Amino acid sequence: MLDAQPDLLQGTLDLLILKTLEPGPLHGWAISKQIQLTSRDLLTVNQGSLYPALYRLEDRGWIRGATSVSAQGRRVRAYHLTGAGRRQLGREVETWRRFASAMQYVLATP
Amino acid sequence: MDWIQRWSRRIAHFFRRAAVEREMDEEMRHHVESEIADRIARGMAPDEARRTALIAFGGVERFKEEGRDARWGRLLGDLSQDLRIGLRTLRRNPGFTAGSVLTFALGIGAATAIFSVVYGVALRPLPYTDPARLVTLWERDTSHGGGVNVVAVPNFEAWRDRSGAFSGMAALVPQSATLMGAGQPERASGALISPGYFALLGVPPAMGREFTPEEGENGGADVVMLSDAFWRRRFGGDPSVVGKTVMIGGRAHAIVGVMPRTFEPPSFFWLGQQDLWFPFGATAGNRSWGRFLLVVARLRPGVTLNQARDEMARLARQRAAEDPTDRGWSVTAVGLGQEITGDVRASLFVVLAAVGLLLLMAMVNVAALTLAFARRREHEYAVRRAIGATRPRLLRQLLTQSGLLGIVGGAVGLVTALWGVRALVLLLPTDTPRLTSIHVDLPVLLFTLGGVLLATLVFGGAGVTGSTRGVQALHRGSPGRVTSGRGAGTLVVTEIAFGLVLSVCATLMVRSWVALRAVDLGFSTQGVVAARIALSGGDRYATPDQQRAFFAGLLDQIRALPGVRTASVMSIRPFGGPGPATSVADPAQPLAAGSVPPVTDVRVIDPALFSTLQIPLLAGASFDSRQAPGAPPGVIVNRALVRALGFPVDGAVGRRVALDMYGGITPRIVGIVGDIHLMDQRTSPRPTAYLSAVQFPSTQADLIVRGDGDPGRLLAAVQASVALLDRGIPVYDGAPLGQVIDSSLARDRFTTLLLSGFALVALLLAAVGVYGVFAGEVARRRREMGIRLALGAPAGMVVRLIVRQGIGRAALGITLGAGVALLLVRPMVPIMFGITPTDPASFAGVAILLLGVAFLATAVPALVAARVSPLEVIRAE
Repeated sequence: MLDAQPDLLQGTLDLLILKTLEPGPLHGWAISKQIQLTSRDLLTVNQGSLYPALYRLEDRGWIRGATSVSAQGRRVRAYHLTGAGRRQLGREVETWRRFASAMQYVLATP
Repeated sequence: MDWIQRWSRRIAHFFRRAAVEREMDEEMRHHVESEIADRIARGMAPDEARRTALIAFGGVERFKEEGRDARWGRLLGDLSQDLRIGLRTLRRNPGFTAGSVLTFALGIGAATAIFSVVYGVALRPLPYTDPARLVTLWERDTSHGGGVNVVAVPNFEAWRDRSGAFSGMAALVPQSATLMGAGQPERASGALISPGYFALLGVPPAMGREFTPEEGENGGADVVMLSDAFWRRRFGGDPSVVGKTVMIGGRAHAIVGVMPRTFEPPSFFWLGQQDLWFPFGATAGNRSWGRFLLVVARLRPGVTLNQARDEMARLARQRAAEDPTDRGWSVTAVGLGQEITGDVRASLFVVLAAVGLLLLMAMVNVAALTLAFARRREHEYAVRRAIGATRPRLLRQLLTQSGLLGIVGGAVGLVTALWGVRALVLLLPTDTPRLTSIHVDLPVLLFTLGGVLLATLVFGGAGVTGSTRGVQALHRGSPGRVTSGRGAGTLVVTEIAFGLVLSVCATLMVRSWVALRAVDLGFSTQGVVAARIALSGGDRYATPDQQRAFFAGLLDQIRALPGVRTASVMSIRPFGGPGPATSVADPAQPLAAGSVPPVTDVRVIDPALFSTLQIPLLAGASFDSRQAPGAPPGVIVNRALVRALGFPVDGAVGRRVALDMYGGITPRIVGIVGDIHLMDQRTSPRPTAYLSAVQFPSTQADLIVRGDGDPGRLLAAVQASVALLDRGIPVYDGAPLGQVIDSSLARDRFTTLLLSGFALVALLLAAVGVYGVFAGEVARRRREMGIRLALGAPAGMVVRLIVRQGIGRAALGITLGAGVALLLVRPMVPIMFGITPTDPASFAGVAILLLGVAFLATAVPALVAARVSPLEVIRAE
């Protein structure tokens, strides 16, 4: 589980967030739920460390947060991918695939 | 540019950080609440849901901190934190803060003020087109080893027509004139200029036009150009003044142009204030007048000053072959900027160097303060290192703190400088070139900023070396037990060395000043006033008889005034600037081939001059009725001229001398008088010949009057006597003669005063610095002293121990300082008088003074140390 080993694969969380935002804007809690859901509960994002990651991605200009009012009349901050974020997602997916297949080869070698 | 966007986002976040904080708060709260709702929905009890959700979320503050780092970058966050810590620290240590800020402000203030003067006078480019290509051309009397000399008309014409190195050349002659018309007659000064002179400088008139070449023909047409200031004052800024006529010296002159307000006329040699310009033209007459022109030229693009000098030397050789009066003369070219500021440069740069040293001393003092301050907190820094602060982080914090000190000190210093510049301009001699271009502006502010940056690094550096050595400080035990004394000794040595250098410079200047004041001028100024008059009024004073009659009547009238003892006239008063000079020879003894005759100053006087100025008559008599108009002329010579001609003093009266003036005259010597300093105190009296004003009358002269009582009243009475004879004659430049002499030393007084002031401040800084270091040292060694005393060391020994250390360091500082001073006084040679720059007495005196300062500054803390109660110290451990 991701939160048990925070040092594992620096940048993985960034990729997860970018991927999760690909279909459309989500707020923080929904992002963490979505990651949990799509990873079939294998990955639980340490909820608190989600936010520094969001701010960092926003600082890099890959996602942008916008405050809107929810159906319950509460102010909610939802994040969406920017153009640069979309390009970054493409690059990171590619990197990840190469890395994963490399790992496969290494682990498959007797 | 990604990083620009990122940083603008960060800065935007930083400035609305309250809102950003609130958003983060809201967002995280929303997260936790959503999580709780989710857990309840999955069947958890509400209390349990809240508890587990909060635990799952973790430390809110830590995430916010990480969020802040991500939001505006660690640097910005740290900076604001460091600023807060720095301000708090400085506020809590008012003694340290005030000491540092004041010392620094003093240093940077004094340095900025002096730099703005030096920049304004010597460094700011002249306000002309491409000023670096403007040069002045001079003749040089090489056969007499003479310096630069003004230029003869035929030589100017030859240079202008034959040289290829210059794109333009213009001649100037100072010329003052009397303006008549509405109101008081007014004497205004200005110059005759070759047409094209203003174009040569690259400054076109603001109104009207410059002189045409035709206006420069036949000695110049009756046209005039005005300075902006004169146009505003005399003509009320009349916009239609061009084309009007004005009466100048009895002749109607047409005003053809007005120069712009920003125009700074080059003033050098005998060109001073300029309000009027007239066209200059060569005539058969002025070609034979000898040397009297100033020449300004512009180097052709690509031609260097040295190439121009070579060409001019070649032209000079040509001229010497053509004209016997040019034999033994050569030509030299000097940059216009150097010519204008030449003789003040030396003293200004000495003052600038001195103030630079003062600034360094101030910084060393602040560094000492910072070091002591940091040392007191060494324990605190060690603890901070131990619990995780990184070294760069601590460095940044210390630099921020010293940056704050630098900024506050710089701001106070700038205010000091603004005030100081105003004081300096008042203190500067009024004939300082380019006085009006002195102000605090961009280059000066950049200088200040540089000082602040440098000082910040110095303060910070001092604190850092002493304070971040780290955890090992903890090993040394309890706070206050730190034993390193490194750094402090160096500071003492530096302070004493700098103090010595400045004090030596000041002492030399003071002694040079005293020597200048003590020069025996050869005449007395006691009760003497001088005022200049110029006869003007059409043809009323056109003939020698009219001029003679006027002066005779005027002198009779002044002599009859109550309180007047003697009254006289002199063509140019002593210390009244350069006057005519000519070659002189013994007509009985033809000059040996190849040798060059001596040169003498010539003054036209009334014989009462010698009694008025109390110049002793050594042989013969003064002028009397025998020197009547039309009679063979007589001359009175000074002892220097007798010696230059090789005459015996007791056999010279009655002999003739040949003067190359008035078309060549050979007057008989009627008397010999004592030597006087005619121009300045520095050079020894020159050969001087006095001619009778009765035989050689002119329209201009200085009235020299000795009387009793108030000089102001005497001057007013003289002025009234002139007005009684002719209301149209202006009386100007009236002043007590003593004051004229004094103001000739204004520049030396300025340098002496400033250097003395700097030396006093330097001594004070050295005393405070040494005291501070030793007070710190004593505090640090309190325990050691206590133990020594407890073990039976006599109090006197403890005192000796500390004082000996202080004196040792001071002696080292004095030795080093003396070495530096020996190098630094060399540029002061041109401004010193009557003293060698290595004067042993000055060095020894200052060394003793500094030893005294060091002794006092260490004895006081040493006595405190000796009074330590051993019991108290040991118990405190």
